[in-house]
Amino acid sequence: MLCEECGKRPAEVLMTAVVGGQSTTKNLCRECLKKYKAGDLQAVLAAVLSAMADKKQAPEITCPSCGETYAEFQKSGMLGCAECYQAFRQELAPLITRVQGRAQHAGRRPPVSEEEQARQSRIEELRGLMEAAVADENFEEAARLRDELRAMTPAKEGKA
Amino acid sequence: MSDIVVSSRVRLARNYEDIPFRGKISAAQAEECVQRTLDALRDLPQAYSFLPLRGMEENEKKALVEAHLISPDLMEHEENGAVLLRDDEKAAIMMNEEDHLRIQGFAAGENLKTAADSAFFIEDTLQKHLSFAFDPQWGYLTACPTNTGTGLRASVMLHLPMLTLLKQMGKVNQLAAKLGLTLRGIYGEGSEAQGNLYQLSNQVTLGRTEQEIIQAVTATARQMAEMERVFRERAWEKDSVAFEDQLFRSYGLLANARRMPIKEFMAHWSNLRLGAAMGKLPVSLSACDEMLTAAQPAHVRKATGKALTDPETDACRSRIIRSAIAGA
Repeated sequence: MLCEECGKRPAEVLMTAVVGGQSTTKNLCRECLKKYKAGDLQAVLAAVLSAMADKKQAPEITCPSCGETYAEFQKSGMLGCAECYQAFRQELAPLITRVQGRAQHAGRRPPVSEEEQARQSRIEELRGLMEAAVADENFEEAARLRDELRAMTPAKEGKA
Repeated sequence: MSDIVVSSRVRLARNYEDIPFRGKISAAQAEECVQRTLDALRDLPQAYSFLPLRGMEENEKKALVEAHLISPDLMEHEENGAVLLRDDEKAAIMMNEEDHLRIQGFAAGENLKTAADSAFFIEDTLQKHLSFAFDPQWGYLTACPTNTGTGLRASVMLHLPMLTLLKQMGKVNQLAAKLGLTLRGIYGEGSEAQGNLYQLSNQVTLGRTEQEIIQAVTATARQMAEMERVFRERAWEKDSVAFEDQLFRSYGLLANARRMPIKEFMAHWSNLRLGAAMGKLPVSLSACDEMLTAAQPAHVRKATGKALTDPETDACRSRIIRSAIAGA
């Protein structure tokens, strides 16, 4: 049997990698085993990807922005652009959780732009006005404000 | 300067949201990536030098890799790879590496916080003008999903001669793995860590804050350093004459040899630093650490200014080492 990693040298070791609570087994040659032993997360990702690729056909998705296909990603472990994360979101989610052990970012975030700050404070203002309109039983005005608010909140925030 | 932790480094992986990653980037886009970075960093308070890899002499590139200022990966992507290097070598921004930007901060000894602050300062400066690819769930987006989240890798270089000699590295490796960290030899290939130098760094980048990652690496490095110190003391108590004999033999060789091949140097250098760290040899830790880089092959070549055949390189290396020891 040939090494499942490089496909060149004979496999000598059966490796079990436990990532995110799930185990993946792979037949490896000694050279490729070294990479895993060094704790190379990219090598682990490659193992998970190829194990998944064996199980089922790669979903036929193409990133609309850069043209990368999911099959290409499965082969290289590299995404084509930031938009790929959206295009392959469903497929990437379990994979990222498995390799990283966690699913939600913690830590630094980009600074909020002035535009965004203005948008946020306008949303708060509209909410206040809407509540006041409801309290005044001015339902026509409240409905108008509600629609304006909806138009300002993109789908992005819908998940939260 | 520290007896066991040689140096600290932090790198941040960042990408521009409107430019494709390396696999899909065009030459013009790669150029744009460099240009906008340079424009945004024009007002940095420290002096920097811009070094594009294309057209750079091969030895110059290797010297940058030896000094750990750029990665071997960047060296292989010379078409559009570049580095903006702080003149005091405490920070460097690699461009068109695996990610658009790899922002790096460096510090001597065990000081990840200082290294991180240097990197964050550069990131903050960039973010005043530009925005990076960011996802509320997955954080800063990177070409490979294994770096997403903080995009941060914190690493320290550890000198662990006694743990290596007494075959404790298996245990030390397990300690690292249990905490989601990884330990690998810095010099040399495969399992052999030349100079007994190791790099300890975090593997996982998502779901932990920058501070958590830095604290985990720092705490583990301290634990390993403490283990190393215990083994040093025990060895000294067991047979101080044998211990000293080893140290002074290496010192004598490095201070007197007229030809010093790199592999031999790395082995004796480890004893030299061990002796310096324990206050047993008349050499300073800073002299040891400077010598380590200065004696690497591309640095030796650079010092002579011409391509040397190997025995001449070894002769030149011995001169560099001797003058470093004499100066200390």
